[in-house]
Amino acid sequence: MPAVEVVESDSQLVARAQDGDQDAFAELFRRHSDRVFHLALSILGREFAAEAEDVTQEVFLKVHHALASFRGEAELGSWIYRITFNQAVNLKARARYRRPHLDDTVLSHAVSAEPGPHSLLETEQLDQSLSECIHTLPEVYQSALGLYYWMGASVAEVAALLDVPENTAKSYLHRARQLLDGMLKERGYSHV
Amino acid sequence: MSDSDIDPRQAEMDSLLRRSMAAPVPRLSPDFHQVLSRELRRRSQLPNPFGRILLAGYGGVSAVVSIVVMRGQGLGWEAIAVMTLGSLATLELARRLRRRQSGIAAK
Repeated sequence: MPAVEVVESDSQLVARAQDGDQDAFAELFRRHSDRVFHLALSILGREFAAEAEDVTQEVFLKVHHALASFRGEAELGSWIYRITFNQAVNLKARARYRRPHLDDTVLSHAVSAEPGPHSLLETEQLDQSLSECIHTLPEVYQSALGLYYWMGASVAEVAALLDVPENTAKSYLHRARQLLDGMLKERGYSHV
Repeated sequence: MSDSDIDPRQAEMDSLLRRSMAAPVPRLSPDFHQVLSRELRRRSQLPNPFGRILLAGYGGVSAVVSIVVMRGQGLGWEAIAVMTLGSLATLELARRLRRRQSGIAAK
């Protein structure tokens, strides 16, 4: 008969970690680190993986420091993701980010592509405009879009990471698409 | 979210976003856990014992000098005890508040 592996809940691990068990904290880290990293990445943007990793480290250092005062009134995950969101947004506000620009690689890519250089260049320009528009959206919309479209998270996962009900996550996505549609129209892209 | 949930205009934007945002998702560095563990150990190290002894000695001498001065001014032992213990209690209260605030800040 195969051995049944008992999976400890977050709250059991928290209790052990509060008693100083480092293995329990390591397990909590393993459970949540990828989601923390992806949430940070969805706020900072795809060019800032190193910064998202710094945010992840800072979040877990804070969690480790404050775990003693965690009383379990909220889910551990919600607590960690809220810290992550604030940390990433603060970093984004503090740092002066370089914005990606249309460089030579876009042109060379366009020239070598099959559908024809003109059409590909137009696609690249549309993508560039879309990316610029996304950067003007509120952080929470940017994050929802990144998690859903880039990382392939489900609406339920987006809701969990942003600590909101599923319907709110759906409305973030809906509103973000609406705003982007309007912004692209203003830039002259009537048929996306 | 299925396409039936959204109107045609939203569906167009949906497919544009799907195409435009498709890119490999970075992963945490393989040694990230080790780096974090090292940093945790470094931060949780206690201050050096010599510093703690020096600080405790300074606190003790200060308390004795204060008591002698207050006694010299003609204060009774009760008043001296209230003032000495009161300042120690304030110190402990401040330490607890700071801990609590760092917990709240992390939230």
